[in-house]
Amino acid sequence: MKKILSTLFIFLFSYLHAQEKITLNGVVRDAANNETLYGVNIIFPDLNSGTITNEYGFYSLKIPAGTHQILVSYLGYQTLSQEIKINKSESLNFNLKESSEILEEVVITENFERVNIRSPEMSVTKLEINTIKNLPVVFGEVDIVKSLLLLPGISNAGEGSSGFNVRGGAVGQNLILLDEATIYNASHLFGLFSVFNPDAIKNLKLYKGGIPAKYGGRVSSVLDIYQKDGNSKNFHANGGIGIISSRLLVEGPIVKDKGSFLIGGRSSYAHLFLKLTDNPNSAYFYDLNTKLSYRLNDRNSLLFSGYFGRDIFNISESFKNTYGNAVFNLRWNRVLTDNIFTNLSVIYSDYYYGLTLDFVEFNWNSGIKNLNLKYDFNQLLNDQLSIDYGIQSTYYEFNPGEIEPSTASSGINYFKLTKKYALENALYLSVDHQFSEKFSMTYGVRFSSFFRLGQDSLSLYEDNKPVLFNPDFGIYEEAEPIDQRILPKNKVEKTYTNWEPRLSIAYSFNEVQSVKLSYNRMSQYLQLISNTNSPTPLDVWTPSGRYIKPQLLDQIAAGYFQNFKKESYTLEIEGFYKKAKNGLDYIDGANLVANNAIERVILHGKSRAYGMEILFRKNTGNFTGWLAYTLSKSEQKTQGRTPLESGINNGNWYDTGFDKTHDISLTGSYTLGKKWLLNTNFIFQTGLPTTFPTGQYTIESLIIPVYSPRNSNRLPNYHRLDLSATYTPTRKLNSTYSSSWNFGIYNAYNRKNAVSLNFRNNEDTRINEAVRLSLFGIIPSITYNFKF
Amino acid sequence: MRTLIILFLVVSFFSLYSCEEVVEVDLEESEPRLVIEASILWRKDTPGNLQLIKLSTTAPFFEDQIPAAQGARVSVFSESGMEFEFEELEPGIFRHTEFVPELNETYELAIEYQGDLYRATETLLPVAPLETIIQTDNGGFAGEDLEFKAYFTDPPNIQNNYLVRFFFEELTIQIYEDKFTDGNQTFAYFSNEDLTSGEEVGFEIQGISRRFYEYLFILRSQAGSGNGGPFQTQPTTVRGNIINTTNPDNFAFGYFRLSETDFLDYTIQ
Repeated sequence: MKKILSTLFIFLFSYLHAQEKITLNGVVRDAANNETLYGVNIIFPDLNSGTITNEYGFYSLKIPAGTHQILVSYLGYQTLSQEIKINKSESLNFNLKESSEILEEVVITENFERVNIRSPEMSVTKLEINTIKNLPVVFGEVDIVKSLLLLPGISNAGEGSSGFNVRGGAVGQNLILLDEATIYNASHLFGLFSVFNPDAIKNLKLYKGGIPAKYGGRVSSVLDIYQKDGNSKNFHANGGIGIISSRLLVEGPIVKDKGSFLIGGRSSYAHLFLKLTDNPNSAYFYDLNTKLSYRLNDRNSLLFSGYFGRDIFNISESFKNTYGNAVFNLRWNRVLTDNIFTNLSVIYSDYYYGLTLDFVEFNWNSGIKNLNLKYDFNQLLNDQLSIDYGIQSTYYEFNPGEIEPSTASSGINYFKLTKKYALENALYLSVDHQFSEKFSMTYGVRFSSFFRLGQDSLSLYEDNKPVLFNPDFGIYEEAEPIDQRILPKNKVEKTYTNWEPRLSIAYSFNEVQSVKLSYNRMSQYLQLISNTNSPTPLDVWTPSGRYIKPQLLDQIAAGYFQNFKKESYTLEIEGFYKKAKNGLDYIDGANLVANNAIERVILHGKSRAYGMEILFRKNTGNFTGWLAYTLSKSEQKTQGRTPLESGINNGNWYDTGFDKTHDISLTGSYTLGKKWLLNTNFIFQTGLPTTFPTGQYTIESLIIPVYSPRNSNRLPNYHRLDLSATYTPTRKLNSTYSSSWNFGIYNAYNRKNAVSLNFRNNEDTRINEAVRLSLFGIIPSITYNFKF
Repeated sequence: MRTLIILFLVVSFFSLYSCEEVVEVDLEESEPRLVIEASILWRKDTPGNLQLIKLSTTAPFFEDQIPAAQGARVSVFSESGMEFEFEELEPGIFRHTEFVPELNETYELAIEYQGDLYRATETLLPVAPLETIIQTDNGGFAGEDLEFKAYFTDPPNIQNNYLVRFFFEELTIQIYEDKFTDGNQTFAYFSNEDLTSGEEVGFEIQGISRRFYEYLFILRSQAGSGNGGPFQTQPTTVRGNIINTTNPDNFAFGYFRLSETDFLDYTIQ
């Protein structure tokens, strides 16, 4: 590790003495609403140098003094090209105008994709919000997470399951950030929809590999989502009315050109119809996005963001269930000097799960709270080097559960699972290094540490083993504690530290072809306790400590990238291999709910995944779209701790519940005249792993299947076709009101895709049978969107 | 409790838009294995002399008959030195008519079958009596099912586990632990949509060991709606407490256990 660090510093300092140049910096904004723009290319063609804006629209770069041609380009915006004369370091802000809706009119300069070819950034998925909004989706509900599934390397555990799996990783291994705040459960209605209101989102980036040192805490991927700042020029509203939910978002200036607000709400309303029909059940969700931005001066801005979302279920007043996230974030963007940009964030995030079961007379609640402090720096050293560094600290409070009687006569005793506390810190340094026109690298390291703090009582076990193996019956059993340890929460119970090196290299053969290579090590100190194929809202996050070790993952990825015909077509091919250890597996019959001693039912296992991803896109013309293909394998293994122990599934490798050998999606979009936009998806996926019975017997009048080894069978292959059409009537002259209609058909040929195959005894005939459960048949939808 | 919550999740979620269809699936067949159902039950205020042990083998999943395991030698030994040799009444059904049950006594089961010797040990556990049945008629999701609460009082400060059976035309079972109800008057919960007033039903409570509770917990999750689907637990091979001492790999399914029981008759109101 020391070697890596010293090499890093040698690299860094050997390039510090480059010639003196002047520094140019500034912010790029949308001319119409002052939204800062992320990922804008700023290029000096004659100097052959350039940069891109960061997530707050800020850029800085070093150039020699003099008169230069400058190009500022961003997808969907008119490229700005002008000559500037500069003799001393200064700030230069740009405002870009949106190009008209029709994509073919976008002037794509020859430099646009070049940065992509040359930048070491790889394994990153970006989707434009406008693209997402036009994709056909189930019930017409625009959904960021479901749209990401159309891209290579990203899948989920079947229709209607929550979360997403990246490159064969588990759902609990994704870091999901909304304005830099962690979201613990990104699903509404058990996974039917994601919690992100598309109207409030400015942009998003999903890192599947080559993850920058800035990010940590989850091993598989990072989904980094930014909310809009709000329009600081004019008041605007937009919204939509759909089958499932409706949305409304209002934004406008507080102080013109300086301060803005944004408030967006979304709610489903099927429950209102249920009420009309006297149905006592209801199921609905809502969420609220808020943002306040204020530019104190040219160098300082304050941003406040908030998110609050809840799902509510009520079945006959006897089953009441509420859960959701709440997030608050205050950020201070500051340009410290011409070449240093800083962001200080204070973030509070909270996940709550509450349940009332009236017929057994109890209330249950659980959750996680954290307070996170981050200070991030972007510093430009010279025209070849820029560095990112920062410090992050997060304090966690875990409430694994509390159970209380809901009536005076309830037979339930009050019971509270021991609260847990932890502190996670990280320091990182990442260097962007342009060695030559052809060769560039990003290298860095993250030093993470995790302090599990004291709690009211912690069980101690003989030989520190909370799980015992019973060799007579070949099963794992819970150990009985021998003592309890009581430690105040300002004392450290257990410490873990990890060095996490990160590296990406790009070599471009020419302007249109490059190869890239990346390596990342990641550590994860919180684990999602979930024993089902797809997480449920009541799954709890639990911190590493004496008995639960942090997960560690190594990933290497290599890729080939090419642009054809002036970037009209792009091809990305990547291969990856990753292995992880200390993922959790559960002993047979592990009861995870209201379990105060999770350590007694878990074992640590290994996992590995490898595969190839191909993404071929057509970017220009009336017809655009992409073909995504993933060939991959995702497996896990939990061996016995000693040769006597059987492990899980006899210690053999087995497919994870979300392994899909082939995953193909074809997405096309066609602009028909000025009013119609037609979209279609076709998806084909290998059926998910499952386990079939090979026999049966009866005990206590129950019919018990005898199963084959875990996940050794497959559901039938999954495929479906979706269609949608968006109609945008011509806007009336002198009217600011514009609208569009979206018509969709999900699963157009009504394929009955199996979500599961259940083997059961028919209640009436008393005969065993296999039952296919399928979720969504053909579903038409209609959505009306408006803007004024 | 967990099963209950998951069940609610699944029902509330899938009832939205799901569609179920019986399909043909080709299954592999595993080698037959011995299955031992040795439940010694002693109802309060009875002599408990008549006991049955049932032996069968596993069968292909879509077969409608479970084959009996014939020709075994079945004996139970008590800690105090008594031996009870069971006789084969009909294929796979073994009977003893002079069994002597004793609370908290440990017993050993020995079965010789096809050259292998199977053994298991368990203690006869006492149980709290059933006190009363409370019936309401607004249970289930639609609020139209009959609900029954069979009340009993958990003995305080010791761990107890219960198996409660509800007899009507069919038989349903529930298992309970006293983790959240220690020392309280509590109830076993059943619901039914078909029963009508005047019908005779019965409730039976049994004292069971922690191991047997866990065994049934896993069994029930396996016997449930099957496997697959987002909220399903992983299917697994469920091992009981029976050891094949001759050839451990050729293990038997099933359980040997002894429980005191209490029974309440009830007429639907």
